Amino acid sequence: MKIEIKKPTLSALQEDKEAVIGPWKMIWIRLRENKMALTGLIIMGVIIFISVFAPFLTPYDPYQYDFGITFQAPSMKHWLGTDEMGRDYLTRILYGGRISMQVGLFSVTVAIGLGALIGGISGYYGGWIDNILMRVGEVISSLPFMPFAITISAVLGARVKEEHKLYLIMIIIGTLSWPGLARLIRGQILSLREQEFMQAATALGISDRKKIVKHLLPNTYGYLIVNATLGMAGAIMSESALSFLGLGVAPPVPTWGNLILYARDMYTLMYRPWLWVPPGICIFLAVLSINLIGDALRDAVDPKSNR
Amino acid sequence: MLKYICRRLLHMIPVVIIMSICIFGIMKMAPGDGVGYNLSPKATPEQKVAERKRLGYDRPVYEQYLRWVGRTVQGDLGDSSIYKQPVSRIIRPFIWNSFKLNVVCFLFSYLISIPLGIICAVKQYSKWDNFWSVFSTFGISMPGFFFALLLIYLFSVKIPLFPINGMQTPGLNASGMTAALDQLNHMVLPAIVIVIGGLAGLLRYTRTSMLEVIKQDYIRTARSKGLKEKVVIYKHAFRNALIPIITMIGFEIPALFSGFVILETIFLWPGIGKILMDAIYRRDYNLVMALNLFFATLTLLGNLLADIGYAAVDPRIKVE
Amino acid sequence: MGKNLIEVKGLKTYFYTKKGVIKAVDGVDFAIQSGKTLGIVGESGCGKSITSMSIMGLVPAPHGKIEGGEIFFEDRDLLKLSEEEMRKIRGNDISMIFQEPMTSLNPVFTIGDQITEVLILHQKLDKAQATKKAMDMLTLVGIARAEKIVKEYPHQLSGGMRQRVMIAMALSCMPKLLIADEPTTALDVTIQAQILELMNGLKERLDTAIMLITHDLGVIAEMADHVVVMYAGKVVEDASVEELFENPKHPYTLGLLNSKPNMSVEKDRLENIPGVVPNPIQLPEGCYFHPRCKYATDKCRQAQPELKEYTSGHKVSCFMVHKEV
Repeated sequence: MKIEIKKPTLSALQEDKEAVIGPWKMIWIRLRENKMALTGLIIMGVIIFISVFAPFLTPYDPYQYDFGITFQAPSMKHWLGTDEMGRDYLTRILYGGRISMQVGLFSVTVAIGLGALIGGISGYYGGWIDNILMRVGEVISSLPFMPFAITISAVLGARVKEEHKLYLIMIIIGTLSWPGLARLIRGQILSLREQEFMQAATALGISDRKKIVKHLLPNTYGYLIVNATLGMAGAIMSESALSFLGLGVAPPVPTWGNLILYARDMYTLMYRPWLWVPPGICIFLAVLSINLIGDALRDAVDPKSNR
Repeated sequence: MLKYICRRLLHMIPVVIIMSICIFGIMKMAPGDGVGYNLSPKATPEQKVAERKRLGYDRPVYEQYLRWVGRTVQGDLGDSSIYKQPVSRIIRPFIWNSFKLNVVCFLFSYLISIPLGIICAVKQYSKWDNFWSVFSTFGISMPGFFFALLLIYLFSVKIPLFPINGMQTPGLNASGMTAALDQLNHMVLPAIVIVIGGLAGLLRYTRTSMLEVIKQDYIRTARSKGLKEKVVIYKHAFRNALIPIITMIGFEIPALFSGFVILETIFLWPGIGKILMDAIYRRDYNLVMALNLFFATLTLLGNLLADIGYAAVDPRIKVE
Repeated sequence: MGKNLIEVKGLKTYFYTKKGVIKAVDGVDFAIQSGKTLGIVGESGCGKSITSMSIMGLVPAPHGKIEGGEIFFEDRDLLKLSEEEMRKIRGNDISMIFQEPMTSLNPVFTIGDQITEVLILHQKLDKAQATKKAMDMLTLVGIARAEKIVKEYPHQLSGGMRQRVMIAMALSCMPKLLIADEPTTALDVTIQAQILELMNGLKERLDTAIMLITHDLGVIAEMADHVVVMYAGKVVEDASVEELFENPKHPYTLGLLNSKPNMSVEKDRLENIPGVVPNPIQLPEGCYFHPRCKYATDKCRQAQPELKEYTSGHKVSCFMVHKEV
């Protein structure tokens, strides 16, 4: 006998009133039914794949220079040509993806860590703590991002070793982007705090720390994930812009942002498009896929939202 | 209303204080001892000490901060090491250049994106709406500087329609109409980048706000009164959607400056963004500090304007 | 018997969704005479509100569509009118008040603006005349200090006040028909009584017919002259209010009446109707009510009963009542 197993679709599940689905499963099902999200996931999957397996995908070393073959045009041997030091450019892009994605990921981690912590404390304790924290957040979010990131990077960058600049950038982007998240989490917690289950927790004598970590924060995970996703798009964008201005991750470490730096040389801009168009397209695709996923996640987490 | 504005201004004071400490703190971390702009490289250690003393760098940090605040409030922003002139005097033409290009383009993108967003919301899921949704997702994901480079490559290099960069043709000794046209010609490419970049985000935001409003009960009420659909949408719905849009404008202003820096650097447009980069590359810290101060002030002003606009369109604010 | 002001015949309003067609209103007939109140009763989701939206011509496009039937209003079929002609009727000859007074007024316009808007539109009054009329209307609905209220915004008023404003707005053009969709559901009980009394008083003074949609039989008993009971997009019983309360026939009506507390009859507990309103996409075969009906027979499971006259002026759609099983 053959048993047919049908994948549950949202509509099927809704009709079947008996089926109880958890929120995560619900989100996953909604996501799967969204074509845009699927496109985003596929692009992202490819980017992650090439970033992780870069060493196996190319026979070249991204730092191995060879002054005999500088500035070669694309060929069968070097698909995207070579750069000013004769390094294989495609290899540099593959490895650049690794760094760019890492910077994005870590910046967002920093932002989320700070945002969740500060928002959590602010929303939970309220009063003057809340007042001060939110005021600081307000200042940071009203600082014009790029000029400040540039200034901080230039000022602090001079005191940091070139190879550590990567971390500096992550920290700068992270510390400049937490206020939005903190405000969001604070708002969520303020509204959740009033609800009965928190009063029940208080009645049971559960400690503050435990209340925040175990009972309040889990309720904000949905928003956190959406924001983390969209924040990552922003972080990748910021890193590339800073690197493009020469104030981000410094060569020889390749990132998509500092690879486009070649375009600031007029001759390269005009006659060697293969040296700056591909990393630009990579940034665009990465950010696009993250945005697509983020939008779909937002719709999935908050079904009332409109897009 | 006046009371409300005063309250907002009072509310801004701690923000301004924290912000000035941030700016001062960042600049204090700058490498070097802060002297040497006015001294020749051959200056003796004694001369350096004297210069430090003259500039007050031997005093405690809080005193330096207070002195700096005092001088800044009086409009003395120090001298620029690049231009060997007071900073307050040299930044003025750059501000005007930035204003001409960026602010005008940005306002322009508002004028396009808001009506577009409304139409998309009204015709949700139509082909028109889908097109603009895809457009804005792409627009948001496109790094501005890469888009700028692509435009230069396509429309200045491959098809030489527009100048690659600058604000006027070098050596052009024209005035009046010709000069204005020449400048306009230089504006086209950067303007496209700014308008499309601004458009994508705003369009999306307007659409979302409108969709949120359109499903409200009072829109149904407006329809049940027999009002024309145009009146329902542009009067009843839009007035409400305007509230989040105005808040958004407040947040968009800082974003606008981010655009200044990169685009002006690429297009060599002599505005504040570009001189910020010059000042940073050449370590003219007085100029950097002044520019950051300027950006921060403008941002705060923008937020204040947004707050006022907010109160003007939302009657619920005033009673608070 | 007087002349019918509005006559709905075989109205069908469907919604097209990804999951299937929802027959929200599926062949509804009823009529209202001038100056009378028709009550429409039923559980939520039975098509009451969609019926009223269909009359107003405000079925939300593009998903919803009126697929059939006629709505005669003063001998004109509203469904055949152009959008332009329909707009002249809306808010003028037929107006509507809604369930949620808290959200039914636009928060960014003053009460005065919102009332004068209709007057300027339909009665071609100028601003000053309209403002004066608006104040008269506000006074009429029992709002003191009308000249102050016209300058206020909705958020400054209480729920009961807002509903009074809605009524003033709806009645400002002296409509011939007022559709009230659960006008008191969201209000406190004491305010409910005031609003109902107000509507009753105004009906008599202005000679307006009212189509009152509610799930509350108490409201019906107090207000209605005639009652239509709806279930799953169909009319199951149609009778005068006295007849319906004294001699209810359809098992669903009986269920509704039994689930309401009654002071005069002593009962140990209230009965409820077992089950829920069926999923509108997968309506059961036969009579839509049969899964919840304790009298259901095989015939009820296979065929759909028609709405037929039981006694004069009392129509029921049930095989059992018509002794057809």
